[in-house]
Amino acid sequence: MNPDRLISFRGVSVDFDSRTALEDVSVLLDQRRIAVIGSNGSGKSTFARLLNGLASASDGEVRVHGIDPLRQGRLLRRRVGFIFSNPDSQIVMPTVAEDIAFSLRGRGLSRTEIDERVSRMIDTYGLADHADGPAHSLSGGQKQLLALSSVLVSEPELIVADEPTALLDAANTRRISNHLLDDMHQQLVLVTHDLGLARRCDVALRFDHGRLVACGDPDTVIADYERSHA
Amino acid sequence: MISVYRSGTSILHRLPPGLKLIGFIGTSLVIAVTTTHLLEVVAAATFVMTGYAAAGLGARALTSQILAVKWVIVFMLVPQLLFLSALDAVSNTARVVLILVLAALFTMTTRIPDLLDAAERAASPLRRVGIRPESVALLLGLSITSIPVIAGFAATVRDAQRARGISAHRVTFAVPLLIMSLKHADDLADAVNARGIES
Repeated sequence: MNPDRLISFRGVSVDFDSRTALEDVSVLLDQRRIAVIGSNGSGKSTFARLLNGLASASDGEVRVHGIDPLRQGRLLRRRVGFIFSNPDSQIVMPTVAEDIAFSLRGRGLSRTEIDERVSRMIDTYGLADHADGPAHSLSGGQKQLLALSSVLVSEPELIVADEPTALLDAANTRRISNHLLDDMHQQLVLVTHDLGLARRCDVALRFDHGRLVACGDPDTVIADYERSHA
Repeated sequence: MISVYRSGTSILHRLPPGLKLIGFIGTSLVIAVTTTHLLEVVAAATFVMTGYAAAGLGARALTSQILAVKWVIVFMLVPQLLFLSALDAVSNTARVVLILVLAALFTMTTRIPDLLDAAERAASPLRRVGIRPESVALLLGLSITSIPVIAGFAATVRDAQRARGISAHRVTFAVPLLIMSLKHADDLADAVNARGIES
């Protein structure tokens, strides 16, 4: 196991009011690309949100690259980037460049360093023509590229993407998924209903009614999942 | 009504945002309090136009900002024309429009991160009473960003109601708008937290 990439869950449960979203999940992961699949309400998103402290475990222990999300939440969120399915709800600042730069606030970087990093992201993800334009006027695909840029600019070690292509057309799905699965060097946890994307990962986890029911080779896990819905 | 930053190197772009904000507030107060005669309105309008010229923004940007507040002009001017003299109605409306156009000039020449830094510095004395200046600056930034989003929600609610043949009503319009706005606020809080920024 690679300790720099180790994600460990030991007997983790998450309760929301009277509902159990996740039940007794134990798993060790160090792969580069991790797919998370399952039906709606199966616990996939809760699993993902635990990884950067957006949700807290009611029971059990979570460690992400050796960090405890409960006690070191701020440190963890600086090392773990999160991409949501709705690109609109991720835009925090009015213009594209300002939104990317926002991720670097409070990190003690000089203005020159911030501008350089933002320019690099804008060029890499083809947003140069929109740099000073209103972020909310971008297309859905461009907004998701902006979300990706805003996450990558802070150079996280792990990226958690919760259905990042759910609202995108085929061309933008291909573009975003290629960036996530092929171009990046960071570890990726990809929550998805797109089984084609899940197949491209190194390992797949399947959740069902809050329980982790399978973890292993993506082809095997996906075949089993498809059989259960046939 | 709140315009986005237009890059440039003019003197207005280069002024420190805190100083610019103080200047904007001061000028707005002067316009609000002193411009009661036509000549003073003309002088204030000339000042604002000079500001646009100095920022290298030109007549087109100025015109688009005036057009952006056209409904403010209509709603202010028409009722006043019924009760006041034409001169008073025009000068009252012009005062408000000039301040709005001046506010747009401020946002068009000031990057939001610079504005947030200035707001954070200005709010630093509040730390003594337990208020975090970072939160004040964040609140300001999110408020500015949320205006077009809420406007988009309003359009969505109107379209959804028209599609179902529901006539316009304050309650049937306000309730879904409020729910969408609260959901957006939740999502935005998650997005801010996920980026490692303490809110």
